[in-house]
Amino acid sequence: MITTEEKLIEISELAFEYPDGTLALRNINLDIYANQFVAFIGQNGAGKTTLAKCINGLLKPNSGYVRIEGLDTRERGTTKKIVTKVGYVFQNPDHQLFNNTIYKEIAYGPRNLGLDEKDVDERVKEAAQVCGVEEDLLKEHPFFLTKGLRQRVAIASILAMRPRTIIVDEPTTGQDLRQSLEVMNFLSNLWQQEGHTIVIITHEMPIVAQYAQRVVVLGQGQILKDGSTREIFSEPDLLAKTFVKPPQITRLAQALNEYGIPKNILSVPEMVVAFNEAREKNLGNQTSQKGS
Amino acid sequence: MRFGKISRAFYTQLLIDMEQTIQTSAPPKQRKMRRTLLGTVPVVSPLYALHPVTRLFTLLFLGVVSLFILTPEINILLIILIFVYLKWAKVDISGLRIYLPLTVTVAIFMFTVSTIFPGAKPEYHPFKLLGITFYLEVFFFTFASYWRLMAMLFGTIQYFSTNRERDTLVAIRTLKAPFVVTYFFSLALRSSGMFLEDMRTIREAERARGLDESSISLRDRAKLYAMYMIPLFTLAIRRTDEISNALFARGYTPSGKIEKGGKRGDYILTLYPIRNIDIILITLMVIVFIAIAFLQIRYGIFSMENSPLYQLLLSRLS
Amino acid sequence: MIAVSIEDLGWKYSGRKNFAIEHVNLEIEEDTFTSILGPNEHGKTTLVSCIKGLIPQSFHGVWRGKVEVFGKDVRNQSAQALADEIGFVFADPEAQFTSMTVEEELVFGLENIGLPLHEVKDRLDWVTDIALIADLLDKSPYEISGGQKQRVAIASVLAMKPRIMILDEPTSMLDPLGKDFIFEILTNLKKEHSLTLIVVEHNIEQVAPLSDQIVLMYDGNIAKAGPPAQFFENSAFLYEHGINAPQATAFLDQLKSQNLYTGALPTDLKDAIQAATSLLKSKEPSES
Repeated sequence: MITTEEKLIEISELAFEYPDGTLALRNINLDIYANQFVAFIGQNGAGKTTLAKCINGLLKPNSGYVRIEGLDTRERGTTKKIVTKVGYVFQNPDHQLFNNTIYKEIAYGPRNLGLDEKDVDERVKEAAQVCGVEEDLLKEHPFFLTKGLRQRVAIASILAMRPRTIIVDEPTTGQDLRQSLEVMNFLSNLWQQEGHTIVIITHEMPIVAQYAQRVVVLGQGQILKDGSTREIFSEPDLLAKTFVKPPQITRLAQALNEYGIPKNILSVPEMVVAFNEAREKNLGNQTSQKGS
Repeated sequence: MRFGKISRAFYTQLLIDMEQTIQTSAPPKQRKMRRTLLGTVPVVSPLYALHPVTRLFTLLFLGVVSLFILTPEINILLIILIFVYLKWAKVDISGLRIYLPLTVTVAIFMFTVSTIFPGAKPEYHPFKLLGITFYLEVFFFTFASYWRLMAMLFGTIQYFSTNRERDTLVAIRTLKAPFVVTYFFSLALRSSGMFLEDMRTIREAERARGLDESSISLRDRAKLYAMYMIPLFTLAIRRTDEISNALFARGYTPSGKIEKGGKRGDYILTLYPIRNIDIILITLMVIVFIAIAFLQIRYGIFSMENSPLYQLLLSRLS
Repeated sequence: MIAVSIEDLGWKYSGRKNFAIEHVNLEIEEDTFTSILGPNEHGKTTLVSCIKGLIPQSFHGVWRGKVEVFGKDVRNQSAQALADEIGFVFADPEAQFTSMTVEEELVFGLENIGLPLHEVKDRLDWVTDIALIADLLDKSPYEISGGQKQRVAIASVLAMKPRIMILDEPTSMLDPLGKDFIFEILTNLKKEHSLTLIVVEHNIEQVAPLSDQIVLMYDGNIAKAGPPAQFFENSAFLYEHGINAPQATAFLDQLKSQNLYTGALPTDLKDAIQAATSLLKSKEPSES
């Protein structure tokens, strides 16, 4: 991808094997820049989560390296530093929330970093505001909130450490339309307005089509393709290798490609426009054929 | 009808293709052992020809019989035999390395305590080593106790290295334990599995929040485990509801009674026939166990004093 | 025959201010496929839990109205009697798996309802074939994926041969391949077995083509119910009520509002392709 932005994450020849011998990643070369919205897609077991965990230092490479803003994850004692550069939001907020007030929850990260209370307070209020968590909720206990709100508290607690890159594992799984749009719009806002790099791991292709700018396709531990969203979805055969299908509207467009509809349609409105154009052209040809 | 059959064939092939791609990426070593709650057991083993209840008896036998044996030579021999037995059963011996720290810690602890608090009696035989006074009786008793403990430990470990949870459940049901007990036990095992998985994920989530376990003090680490409890319990509470709903959906009643009348069947039990070899081995184990217990209690045959090594050391010091 | 008859049903969970569902009236015919859509926390799970009898048996609260399954009131029946008639599959594959191997999991329900031992093996063979899990019998929960666990859940409930199967968001925690497997099984169940299926789903694209009836739960009431072609008309209404039509259907709905298409709205991608193709080839607004 051509960009003038700063390189935040550099991954070279990364390979990772789990202790029980399962080979999870091999030959991974990937660069992630500032201000990007990336989606990792691929079947379960393809290595998406493993790659994400290598990026945030939870897993150390067996060979190759991962450098986060210049910091090599293999170096000892880097956990605290990495956390200020790459945040990771787990799929189930219940795995992450363990304080008895939301304030303490969001403050946990900054306090861990050794900041003084004034800074901590500032960061908590800032993160809460960005995540739409109202001030009077800060003294509430997380257990009784709705799932959507718990998820936002989890994101706020990561944001409080001010990482430039945020990895979100399955932001919309199990959510309904409105909740999905809410969280995705929020992440999109973090990207466009606040300048973060967002990496989402997801199975929902319509979400990828609507929000992601760049897609990394993983299959059997390797990167099958890395490109723009349109590029990726116009190659259904490649995606089939990792058991992924483009969004339904894209598949409709691809089935009608012989009539002049482009293969990389990503939304219904686009399809309507392309369809009308193609229809006019086709019918125009028909009339001119009849005429001649 | 045809559509269903064709697509089923397609999906079965898909399954096979998928499994092959996953398997080829795993080295053969992995497929020899399979995971259980407490560790791993071999995928194939000549031991599996025996009924699970026979194997449960080995736990009762090997894990307990050393209670009556204080002669260290016998216990050491027993441990060696257990290792030979495990090798024959195709257990990955190198996996037992995880118990090494435990055995060393216990040894250090026992010998330190007995050295500091010998509780020596006047008729005891002292000897000096590195400037410290030891007493033969105390020292040898600790030595013998240590090997007794190790024999019992490995007698227990061997069971958990060769039996899955299902085997244990089949064994206790063969012994006609009531349904309520066996089902409770089964559910406890499954819940522990879920609990451990959740624990793993929570620790990862904490690390992702900047928590570096290796860099904090022991006291703070203790506080940490208290902290993990909160999300664990949140999850456990949510899971309790889910599990009880799942049980309801499968028509479960705690008593196991059948409304229509008749006895509750046990299909899985029918898959494990008891053979002559099982009866012979169980009888043998029971007889030997009782014999050893009797000989020790009545005649003290396996006491410390009957150890040749002890006699040798005693003659040297007298 | 009417499999499920719901009359003025209402339920309020104890400790909550408002009723979770209220004034719900619904009839489900035998051997049909009904899907229940709608935003989260708007009553879908509550509704199907009432049909299964989970509510009020496992929950405290206030019940109003009546639910009858094949003519019998669900409140008067025990867990065993209900399991015989109505199967229920939950969203979380992990918590549903309560035994230590797949085989034990499948046999558990059968033993609970007192199936004679000599019939168990046949039932096992039958159900593992449908759910595509024949090679998994000896595996423990740590050795299988979420999708496989979910297929085991379906099998373990189907094994009791209920007349009604309810599935509450069966694919929400699965990857696309896992989802495909589940919908393949549902397709086969619909085509080859006489079973009344009720499925709560967010995955509208895959569930709509299978449905005979679609019900939209919003704010504790049925906002809309009907056969798919009718259901997806007026996408604005659906969007306001928190759901989207399948993309291909929404696309043809757009063409309809442009007066280019006058036929019934398809819910299947194949039908949509056909409709669109004929539109591209002919000058006249097509009917399909």
